[in-house]
Amino acid sequence: MEETKKQEQTTTHKIGIYLWIWGLLFVLSFFSYMVDWFQFQGLLRWTLILIFMFLKAGLIMAFFMHLFWERYALVNVLLWPMTAIACFIFLMVAEFQYTLFTRLFYFFIGG
Amino acid sequence: MSDLKIEGYEFKPGYRGMAEDTGSAQTMFKGVHWGKAMMWIFLLSDTFIFSCFLISYMKGRGSTPVEWPNPSEVFALHVGGVDVPLLLIAIMTFVLITSSGTMALAVKYGYEKNRKMCGWLILATAIGGLTFVGMQAFEWSKLIHEGVRPWENPFGAKQFGSFFFMITGFHGTHVSIGVIFLFIYAYKTFAGHYDERKRGWFTSIKGDYVEIEILGLYWHFVDLVWVFIFAFFYLW
Amino acid sequence: MSEDNNDKIIIQSQSSESISGGGSGSTTDIDYVRPAEVGDQDLYHGHSFITKWVFCQDAKVIGVQYFLLATFTGIIGLILSWLMRLQLGFPELASFMTAEHYYQFVTMHGMIMVVYFLTALFLGGFGNFLIPLMVGARDMVFPYLNMVSFWMFFIAVVVLLASFFVPGGPTGSGWTLYPPQSILEGTPGSGMGILLMCLSLILFVAGFTMGGLNYLITVLQARTRGMTLMRMPLTVWGIFTATVLAMLAFPALLVGSLMMSLDKILGTSFFMPTILQAGEVLEYGGGSPILFQHLFWFFGHPEVYIVALPAFGIISDLISVHSRKNIFGYRMMVWAIVVIGGLSFFVWAHHMYVSGMNPWFGFFFATTTLIIAVPTAMKVYNWVLTLWRGNIRLNTVMLWCLGFIVTFVNGGITGIFLGNVTVDVPLSDTYFVIAHFHMVMGIAPLMVIMGAVYHWFPLVTGRMLSEKLGKWHFWFTFLGAYSIYFPMHYLGFIGVPRRYFEMYDSPYVTSAVGMNEFISTAAFIVGAAQFILIYNIIKSLKTGKPAGKNPWQANSLEWLTPSVPPEHGNWGDRLPVVHRWPYDYSVPGAKEDFITQTTPPSDVTNSEVEKT
Repeated sequence: MEETKKQEQTTTHKIGIYLWIWGLLFVLSFFSYMVDWFQFQGLLRWTLILIFMFLKAGLIMAFFMHLFWERYALVNVLLWPMTAIACFIFLMVAEFQYTLFTRLFYFFIGG
Repeated sequence: MSDLKIEGYEFKPGYRGMAEDTGSAQTMFKGVHWGKAMMWIFLLSDTFIFSCFLISYMKGRGSTPVEWPNPSEVFALHVGGVDVPLLLIAIMTFVLITSSGTMALAVKYGYEKNRKMCGWLILATAIGGLTFVGMQAFEWSKLIHEGVRPWENPFGAKQFGSFFFMITGFHGTHVSIGVIFLFIYAYKTFAGHYDERKRGWFTSIKGDYVEIEILGLYWHFVDLVWVFIFAFFYLW
Repeated sequence: MSEDNNDKIIIQSQSSESISGGGSGSTTDIDYVRPAEVGDQDLYHGHSFITKWVFCQDAKVIGVQYFLLATFTGIIGLILSWLMRLQLGFPELASFMTAEHYYQFVTMHGMIMVVYFLTALFLGGFGNFLIPLMVGARDMVFPYLNMVSFWMFFIAVVVLLASFFVPGGPTGSGWTLYPPQSILEGTPGSGMGILLMCLSLILFVAGFTMGGLNYLITVLQARTRGMTLMRMPLTVWGIFTATVLAMLAFPALLVGSLMMSLDKILGTSFFMPTILQAGEVLEYGGGSPILFQHLFWFFGHPEVYIVALPAFGIISDLISVHSRKNIFGYRMMVWAIVVIGGLSFFVWAHHMYVSGMNPWFGFFFATTTLIIAVPTAMKVYNWVLTLWRGNIRLNTVMLWCLGFIVTFVNGGITGIFLGNVTVDVPLSDTYFVIAHFHMVMGIAPLMVIMGAVYHWFPLVTGRMLSEKLGKWHFWFTFLGAYSIYFPMHYLGFIGVPRRYFEMYDSPYVTSAVGMNEFISTAAFIVGAAQFILIYNIIKSLKTGKPAGKNPWQANSLEWLTPSVPPEHGNWGDRLPVVHRWPYDYSVPGAKEDFITQTTPPSDVTNSEVEKT
């Protein structure tokens, strides 16, 4: 099939790039483990966790899953629905704070 | 993908290209195999499943007035007289990333039609996955031994056990399914199904090395989910 | 236009098409269409009865299978609604019904109608049948997966119906299945019933995912030459967008069902707070019931549009064909569908204004809800403007279309009431809500289904349905449905609560009783009138007028197959080549009042056609 022949040229990349990403993933995992090892707390912990998490996720998606080489049509179709999840997360943060507030209020103060 | 060519169609880069691809006839994702597009959309749907799990976990953990156990202590491993926090989880993470790397290379060698190399790398990936599942079983049995159950938890909030077993269980199921498929695909690769374009057992669609990439997408996704579980469940 | 001239052009067009088919890159040729990107699909043709009709991989057969099974469950839902209405209108005749039965019937009626009837019918039935035909594909892209999808749906239905026969009966917690009550003692079916319901939903989601992937990839990656997204019939757009919603919304339902089953089986406390039951503290504690509501409605609101968007799409095509006019504002219609689909993920908690969620949410969700009314209203205007000065054929299909517009506007307006927090609070959990959602997502989509059945029946079977019976069917249904749901608005205003088994000694009794009797009588008649359609189908299968090719003079590809009804592979030797959108009706100067999608530009003379 003609299509596969074309694909073959395009999706094969130099082995170096995979090894690089692989190495970076190990390093980033090590760093995120270190976050726990040194027992960082509070905002610093959260920032570091999220940074390492998104970096790792981004590397896996971009290079191992070849998203970096895909055309924008596919990339955008995959990433835009995440806004719904982002909205869900945002609202659920507000919701758990409210639930916690009501629980503390009625169980311990108002109860 | 500048070297992809379609007769009568001019590829443009960036958002301009996205607009043209979307507005063009026949296909929206130019040069993307049907199965690969399907796997991507499936993974998008699966992302929503895991997001819902993690959002529920966030809601559950955030709203409990009872103390949540410290994962760093709960998942510590007693090695040589000291408690090493999250040691097993760290090893599991490394195993999964290793298997993700071998999978990426398997996809590469698959497209280069390097049957032997591709097959061995898939097998290595499968063994990595199996190790991961084994270590997860060990982790589960350790926690169960310590008295953590889906319905109760000696260290604090009940929901800790519930969410832990459900989310890691669901992820573990994904890994296990992936391992089964990896073994099947390793067999098919070694047997030359993709070189001979042999038809699938059930689907009767002709085999092609693109199937390795599709399986690879799934496997990397499993790894991707673990990145999030690791961050939110073990490090929070 | 002289005859000779015509012939010459047709010959010319054929020759130019064969040139372009051969792949010459000449851009001066106005009929040039880019050659195929993907090789022809290689299909599995069944040989035995089982591979041809039972475990069949032909999307058209799967579509019919989905249609029949969904209709079957729909009839069960209808019978349940009769029983409910019997209890409400004439309780003395329904002495065999207990309150538990009533709750179970309410629950099963709701779940069956929303998920197993409407969703399966629109996406599984119409989607499977129409998508490959309308985009010019030979079949769905993964026929095997498609077949598995149907059989998963079949198992889901079997599991659902099995819950009628287990100890305790089906769940009676309302179709929203809210915990904690749905899994606690005292709620009917809190044992096996709720578990089977969750299992059935999980199976349905799994099966639907397989089908949904097929619909999406077929639309995105398997269109024929010349078929751009903006040349697709709105039917495909509606089903496509609804499938996107389903793929992204069903996960929340899956997660909710799974967590609730775990709460039931393992005694986890995801949704279960500390509960005192009959003086005894249960094992549960610390869970959040409102989390289930969020998960459920994160699925539930897109679900409304999973039902509504295919209806929007199909109705646009039916109106356009039967008023012989292009759809007014095609691009606007497409964007409205997409925008409604996108926004539907940001409005879910307007179902939860009285649930005790964070009070600030009311503001956010009321705003997004009212924004979603804008594209919806645009669509209604466009339907009306399509009809305006059209050459309307007042046949059965058109009657259903008009019925849809009226009921949809009615239900939509009450939606504006309920979308506002202050108005919703007194109205929520009353019959006003029932009237609203039955109008907007019960009756209105049903009208579309009926219209679509009358429209596409000739394509599926090669015979026309009887117009006379069809008109009886329409008027009974339309007037009857109004008689059922219009009075319910009033019942809601006087405060009659929904889901109540009886009125007890309440102050509404005097005015509500007579009205309930009236509604129930109308419900019996409307329900019975649906059997006119079944009779019509059975009769027309044998004695209906042969339809021939393209009986409605429609433009879209499904009518242009070499044989009617289309065979497996749809298109014979050659895939169609598309040159225009499917709405070139009544083009001034054209030799007929419709120009099919496959008509090449060189064949259209003496008239100006919009470039699409």
